[in-house]
Amino acid sequence: MFAYAWLILLFPMLGFIGLSCYGERVPRNLVGPAGCATVGLSFLVTLLALGDLLLLDPGQRLGHVHSLYPWIVSGNFKLDVAILIDPLSVFMLMVVTGVGFLIHVYSIGYMEKDPRLPTFFAYMNLFIFAMALLVLAADFFFLIVGWALVGLASYLLIGFWSERTSAVLAARKAFVMNVIGDVGMVFAAFVIFEAFGTLDYVEVFAAAPGKFLANDDTVLLITLLLLVGAFAKSAQIPLHTWLPDAMEGPTPVSALIHAATMVTAGVYLVARCHVLYDLAPYTMFLVAAVGILTAVFAGSMAMVQNDIKRIIAYSTMSQLGYMFLAVGIGVYGLGMFHLMTHAFFKALLFLGAGSVIHALGDEQDIRKMGGLRLAMPLTFYTFLIGALALSGFPLTSGFFSKEAIVAHSWYSENSNIVFWAIAVFTVGMTGFYSFRLFFRTFLGDLRSPDAHPHEAPWVMAGVLVVLAFFALFAGFAAPLVEAFLAPVFGGEAAPIPEDHLLESIGIVAGLGGILTAGALFITGKDRLAFAVELFAPIYDLLYRKYYVDELYDALIVRPTRATAAFIWRKVEKDRIDCVVDGVGAGVREASHELSLWQSGKVRTYALNMIVGVVLILLFVVFM
Amino acid sequence: MGNEFVLMISAAIFCTGTVGFLIRKNPLVMFMSLELMLNSVNFLLVGYSSFLKSLDGQIFALIVMAVAAAEVVVGLAILLTIFRTRHDLNVDHLDTLKG
Repeated sequence: MFAYAWLILLFPMLGFIGLSCYGERVPRNLVGPAGCATVGLSFLVTLLALGDLLLLDPGQRLGHVHSLYPWIVSGNFKLDVAILIDPLSVFMLMVVTGVGFLIHVYSIGYMEKDPRLPTFFAYMNLFIFAMALLVLAADFFFLIVGWALVGLASYLLIGFWSERTSAVLAARKAFVMNVIGDVGMVFAAFVIFEAFGTLDYVEVFAAAPGKFLANDDTVLLITLLLLVGAFAKSAQIPLHTWLPDAMEGPTPVSALIHAATMVTAGVYLVARCHVLYDLAPYTMFLVAAVGILTAVFAGSMAMVQNDIKRIIAYSTMSQLGYMFLAVGIGVYGLGMFHLMTHAFFKALLFLGAGSVIHALGDEQDIRKMGGLRLAMPLTFYTFLIGALALSGFPLTSGFFSKEAIVAHSWYSENSNIVFWAIAVFTVGMTGFYSFRLFFRTFLGDLRSPDAHPHEAPWVMAGVLVVLAFFALFAGFAAPLVEAFLAPVFGGEAAPIPEDHLLESIGIVAGLGGILTAGALFITGKDRLAFAVELFAPIYDLLYRKYYVDELYDALIVRPTRATAAFIWRKVEKDRIDCVVDGVGAGVREASHELSLWQSGKVRTYALNMIVGVVLILLFVVFM
Repeated sequence: MGNEFVLMISAAIFCTGTVGFLIRKNPLVMFMSLELMLNSVNFLLVGYSSFLKSLDGQIFALIVMAVAAAEVVVGLAILLTIFRTRHDLNVDHLDTLKG
């Protein structure tokens, strides 16, 4: 009954093919709307699927697989080209196509002057297609296909401005990190096939509980291998270093891929495979621990960075950490809900940052900004809403999702007090870094005198307003989302008691962060200088991102390079090349000898022919 | 006339043509030698046609003549062009296809 859901995949694919083949011939002002229309149509189809799903009984909403045709039938292995419609995939698609559509619209304004506009929209459409495939896949095979394709789209878009060396390097880094994850996923699929004899979600998840006891080796192996993919895609420790560098891409790309959709794929994966993760409490603990560690680790780095987009990128890592904490302690619905609210406010912040960068002529250093409140009132207010939602200010959307996760980390039996304490501490840091960014950018005096900031054009501003609306009010949808997703996760998460003390601690932590930022960055320059001096060693450590890049460089990149250079000189040049070149030279010599026969003289050829015929005749007659 | 006679005449003409083709350097003469070879075969075909009381051989001979005529037309056209561009028809000098 959900056959039409294929259209969700079809439209962006058509957009990608059309724009990459004929984009140069279409009038420039039609390219953007065409690119948006495909995603918009996908969104409408998703809405239709949502409506149809809501008409069904909650119990019947699961496992609607629609298969197009059997693709591979080999022995007992069978693979259909199929999609799976259930509340989780539709929910995720709503975020992907909905926020994706808004960001596409924003790109019309942001990329207006770029000469490679059609290519940009083609890549963006490719990304939406890949992400939809990842979400709609009905088996691990197409999950991996989508997984790798979003990595590709991310690579293409990070390196979109390919004349910048730094962009190309960042794209390469992101791709390598993502491929590490892909390899993990592929191995996970092997183990799943070995254990279950199928890759189909429905069959695997139905068979798993009866097949394995909790913490069975095989389940642990599968979940850990899947986690490699999830951590790489979602930039969790230790595979996180690519995300801040990915900010080299155009800002709408950062908003779409590196905030709202692709990086949340890891959370989606854990939620999608929750049956397996429920069977592996050890892995669950690891998920939660890595999540909360990444949250505090990235949050602390965000406090001292100076590049407006990098700050938001670290904040994204930190919020992804919260999502992993949520799924790690078993409240999948909350993790998905935070994913949604985060998509709204983080896309809003990125696009707000984009309009600031746009207004200041590609300036990204917050030390050179300031005083934009008057020049860009609309961006100012929407950014304020985004920052409030990110810090979990009461009644904004971030409050409902993040506070709930923090509260669950206190009550959940899979959690412990350390997780909760770090979560609360990170709430404080979140408030601090978001408002450090906000105050530096919009308050005070303009610090670069020759800039003439201007408000964003209406396509960009309109998108900001829509996203700001959702960032403010999406939190009130919490019970609806929870109830909608409940069937997928086997019922709603156990309710936690109302605890006003706990709630207040969270709110106070967030406000404390905001006020500290205010105290340091609105008034007193002396206090700021004093604080920097006081924390100088830590400041340096944070500013240099805990030296993780340097560590990886020393541990992995350099040894690999040295080994490669050694093998190149000793093995490649001295051994392999000798053989290969030798074969080539031998063939050349032999052909030279042979080519002397080709004298070009007709009479020689004729003589050869006649001699040949005579020899054959003699052979036939006398043998 | 026995068929040995036909065979001998035909072989003689064929050998003349072959040797002529191999030793002469003028392409026109080489063409003529070629025609000799073809016609020796024609002679054989016609001779055996009458010997075997069957018309098949004569039909083949007609086809061979038609093909030979067509081939000569093309060949002469090529020779004409070569002569116009190079003013030289010695086949031993025409070795630009040398390997």
